[in-house]
Amino acid sequence: MPNILCCYKWVIDEAYIRTGPAQALDMSVVDYKISDYDKNAIEEAMLLQEKFGGSVAAITIGRPDDTKGLKDALSRGPQKAYFVNDPSFENLEPAQTAAILADAITGRIEYDLILCGEGSSDLYAQQVGPRLAEKLGIPCISYAVSINIEGSRIKVERKTEEGLEVAAAPLPVLVTVAPDINTPRIPGLRDTLAASKKPVEEIGLTDLPGPYEARVQTVGIKAASLTRNGQKFSADKAGVKALVEALQKDGAL
Amino acid sequence: MAGVWILAEYIEQSKELLNVGRELAGQVGVELAAWTWSADWADECLAHGADEVFLLPPLSADQGLDAYIPIIAEKARTIMPEVILVSSTLRGKELAARLAGRLDAGMASECQGLRWDGEKNSLLAERLLYGGAGVQTVSCLGRPQIATVPPRTYEVASRSEAKGGRLTEISGQPSSPVVILEHKSREHQTQDITRAKAVVCVGRGMENQQDLEKARELAGLIGGEVGCTRPIAEEMHWMPEDTCIGLSGKIIKPDLYIGLGVSGQIQHLIGTRDARIVCAVNTDENAPIFAGADYGIVGDINEILPMILEEIGAVKK
Ligand SMILES: Cc1cc2nc3c(=O)[nH]c(=O)nc-3n(C[C@H](O)[C@H](O)[C@H](O)COP(=O)(O)OP(=O)(O)OC[C@H]3O[C@@H](n4cnc5c(N)ncnc54)[C@H](O)[C@@H]3O)c2cc1C
Ligand SMILES: Nc1ncnc2c1ncn2[C@@H]1O[C@H](COP(=O)(O)O)[C@@H](O)[C@H]1O
Repeated sequence: MPNILCCYKWVIDEAYIRTGPAQALDMSVVDYKISDYDKNAIEEAMLLQEKFGGSVAAITIGRPDDTKGLKDALSRGPQKAYFVNDPSFENLEPAQTAAILADAITGRIEYDLILCGEGSSDLYAQQVGPRLAEKLGIPCISYAVSINIEGSRIKVERKTEEGLEVAAAPLPVLVTVAPDINTPRIPGLRDTLAASKKPVEEIGLTDLPGPYEARVQTVGIKAASLTRNGQKFSADKAGVKALVEALQKDGAL
Repeated sequence: MAGVWILAEYIEQSKELLNVGRELAGQVGVELAAWTWSADWADECLAHGADEVFLLPPLSADQGLDAYIPIIAEKARTIMPEVILVSSTLRGKELAARLAGRLDAGMASECQGLRWDGEKNSLLAERLLYGGAGVQTVSCLGRPQIATVPPRTYEVASRSEAKGGRLTEISGQPSSPVVILEHKSREHQTQDITRAKAVVCVGRGMENQQDLEKARELAGLIGGEVGCTRPIAEEMHWMPEDTCIGLSGKIIKPDLYIGLGVSGQIQHLIGTRDARIVCAVNTDENAPIFAGADYGIVGDINEILPMILEEIGAVKK
């Protein structure tokens, strides 16, 4: 009966980001969300628990006020959450995140399987999972599209450039999941109510050995300009004709 | 001593990395070394500018690429290269991140541009952030500095006059607790969508798989290829994954892109940024694709696509 731990990140919803003056990112109206593919990680944990029993917990590293994410994560099924938080846990780079996760987990959380998303929605570095496996000294299988547990080992279909590799490893293992592995559930009102009654264990910076120094420094961020002057044509024969004429004029046909 | 290392799963990508690696090695004033596990590829690397090639022992049938991590990490600890560049295929990305974890090194993922900052004596890397809404420039602190580079970001290095690069056979047992039980190949696109001059992109707004035929017909008319969004490839499995356009797929640069039922989320749009003309048909006038399009029609592809086929068919005749 596996104990499963899912790592999720609470991120800025990129759909709210606008381009400000001088190619700066305008974050004045942003909202937050659970990193998209971490929903697949949590869902997969729940599906595995349905099949094999055991327990599911979620863990996140963030700022103390990122509590909305806990409720969201718990409403997706996990029985417990670990909230590793400190005001300085903002804009962490993957080496730091992996180091903090490893220290928070070691000696505190029992696990047979750790699930991560293939990459976070904001950084999409695709590093934290593999780095965490290295820090914990456990096998790592990435970009999984199906997971099966056979006794004390795990069997995973993972994506490669040529197709799929069926890989197996003895538990405990860290797996990063690709979004095609499942379709995350949409939590209902009951799930949301249940979530607020579930236990959350807080872990602060003082509970951790630290310090956690960045290995990568951000020198600058600018907005990527993607906007074009969209000209609209009517949804009829005349519109289509005008569109095709425009394309011809541009030499695009 | 080799200062810039490159590593790729495929020889084509090795050559691309040798190109940018040569430039960096020149700026840093160090040698350029390539890792490979094929004697043929080793020769190819030497012929494309590597000063040294590290030839790894072959893997057994049930071993994956990760079995090389202990050997490469060990070598990195003794030599301490300045920079390690890894081509970001799926296995390459995992290998690079684990190497970085093992060496406690900084790593920049999926870099679109690499430069050497002579003043700070460090690698500067440009990469996307927030699904493509932002471009981040990072510098790695400490050594080695690791970066992954998407395939086809750089041209392949040109063949150089043989100038006697060294071949170094690396001893050691590849090992990993992960065993590979089976390889399953999946359908592939024979045409490289990144080189297509026109691309018709299918999104989830297409309701029936049969309608793909119409998209193909349109692509045929304009002399291009059919591409798709991530859900079409990975959820619906209608199209091979190497036709997916965007952040986790391909960055395309055709003359003309036509999006059919594509919402145009930032992760997709970033893949069409370099297209000359972007054109979209979507029922939702607020779909973000219209902001990133030169021309748009707010309408149902079931009605509009046949009209486009007819109209373009007429002018092409
Ligand atoms: C880390 C990360 C990486 C990602 N990488 C990629 C990537 O590389 N590539 C990619 O594509 N996505 C990527 N995505 C997913 C991306 O965010 C979007 O979810 C995806 O692009 C949406 O695909 P879609 O437009 O086909 O589907 P939807 O968003 O569902 O859009 C369908 C559209 O079709 C329209 N429509 C419906 N019916 C019709 C009709 N009859 N006629 C015309 N229009 C119709 C709808 O109005 C809607 O706008 C990534 C996401 C994350 C989090
Ligand atoms: N702050 C965080 N807290 C918990 N898990 C995280 C955090 N950041 C990243 N992860 C996990 O690591 C995965 C990869 O993140 P990244 O390396 O940033 O792309 C995510 O999908 C999460 O599963």
